[in-house]
Amino acid sequence: MDGQRMRSPLGRARGLGSAREGVEHWWMQRVTAVALIPLTLWFAASLIALTGSDYNAFIAWLKAPFVAILMVLLLIALFHHTALGLPVIVEDYVHSDQAKIPTVVAIRLVCFALVVVGIFATVRIAFGD
Amino acid sequence: MFIRSSNQLPSVTALKRFPVPRNFNVSTESRIERGKTWHAPADATRVKKFEIYRYDPDSGQNPRIDTYEVDLDTCGPMVLDALITIKNEIDPTLTFRRSCREGVCGSCSMNIDGTNWLACTRFISDTAEPATIYPLNHLRVIKDLVPDLTQLFAQYSLIEPWLQTTTPEPEKERLQSPEDRGKVDGFYECILCFCCTSGCPSHWWNGDRFLGPAVLLQSYRWLIDSRDEAAGDRLDDLEDPFRLYRCHTILNCTRTCPKQLNPGKAIAAIKKMIVQRTS
Amino acid sequence: MAHDKRPLSPHIQIYRPQLTSVLSISHRVTGIALIVGALLLVSWLLAAAAGPQAYSSVQGFMRSWLGLLLMLGWTFSLFFHLCNGIRHLVWDAGYGFELGTIYASGWTVVAASTALTVTAWFSSFVVMG
Repeated sequence: MDGQRMRSPLGRARGLGSAREGVEHWWMQRVTAVALIPLTLWFAASLIALTGSDYNAFIAWLKAPFVAILMVLLLIALFHHTALGLPVIVEDYVHSDQAKIPTVVAIRLVCFALVVVGIFATVRIAFGD
Repeated sequence: MFIRSSNQLPSVTALKRFPVPRNFNVSTESRIERGKTWHAPADATRVKKFEIYRYDPDSGQNPRIDTYEVDLDTCGPMVLDALITIKNEIDPTLTFRRSCREGVCGSCSMNIDGTNWLACTRFISDTAEPATIYPLNHLRVIKDLVPDLTQLFAQYSLIEPWLQTTTPEPEKERLQSPEDRGKVDGFYECILCFCCTSGCPSHWWNGDRFLGPAVLLQSYRWLIDSRDEAAGDRLDDLEDPFRLYRCHTILNCTRTCPKQLNPGKAIAAIKKMIVQRTS
Repeated sequence: MAHDKRPLSPHIQIYRPQLTSVLSISHRVTGIALIVGALLLVSWLLAAAAGPQAYSSVQGFMRSWLGLLLMLGWTFSLFFHLCNGIRHLVWDAGYGFELGTIYASGWTVVAASTALTVTAWFSSFVVMG
């Protein structure tokens, strides 16, 4: 910002111009949010119902096709919502490109990896033993 | 607790400020120090204390808080009257913007008791004891309560706040139905006091790229004006992760508008317009 | 130039916390808390897929006082982010922007999240017996 001291205020405000994009991100954040309403309610209710149950009971519960499918859907919606939302938080507070860009890239890659891990674990349980 | 209008004062104060150290993460030139106290004359009966942010660019010193004791019997009812009394009778160096003294010009916008409002429409009786007065937030201070609004006005000119048409001018006026004219109500009345923009945390952190509620409200004013023919270009210029989408619907803007306007609603309407043209 | 030395007027240091800004930052903070929960979810699924021993060590942690405290924080974060998320979706549809509605819906979210958290934990204890 200091190096732009001699630039006109309008030039500084205009910056690099409008990116002419952003609605896709905004829309998908809302779509995943809507998906997460029933999915998280189901998940919370399931956790309550599973309180105190042992390993076998948990595996038997997750093996049911309906449950396994909902768990996979939950993981996809959850990590997509996170991969869209967490970079926005970083962009809000971190302004140096050097710190911001690697962080945002890392977040997106880690979210993708975690959803794959989660689905793998769920499918392993659903089809295993 | 239940606020119905922005001119309603809170009945309960749980927290006066966020639990952040007063000079936390503040650059050295912005650190605020203790200033002097100007006592009221001994025979004053109704005395009110005002703690006011002071900064003298010629002194080379840091900003400070000066405390003024004002005899309310010598002063009008509004906070602006108190500031004028202080300037006339106690300390002529106190500097602030003011003009119409009736809430229509937007000059005297400042932070009073933690929220942004116009000094000329805030009753002294509605302020705390002592009343704390700061300039509008997160702006470079020129002197005392006068912030540098250059960037905010540059952002305003960026949105091209004038009628844009390709249809040639008609012989007389461009026609507009009363219903269409009604759509502009609630948006044209903005006096560009920037209480909303300087109270928006998102503008604090990204004010160089995020346009802020005042400018976005004015964008909407031109977007829904039925005589304007450039809505597509306006929306193209707004659809940007920072210019528009740094708005996270915090709604400090609607809470603080001294003219009871609703920038939050306008921004949501802009986002809806952008979605509408994708499907 | 003197312009560089101009101080920045105070902002978060002096701005009054209001329901608007407090609920908004809480939405962000609970969102971050839920990301931690998402990581826990994936590790829980992985542990279950790995076998009874891995699962029981995760289960043991969840039963410790630290685990229960985290669970309490996570459940409240979940219900708050869910209820306030719905409030956000209503705003995105264009409704609820009058100041009276903003405040009424805000307090409703606070009450509902607390009620849902209490109900969830109570039900959990009932299920455990």
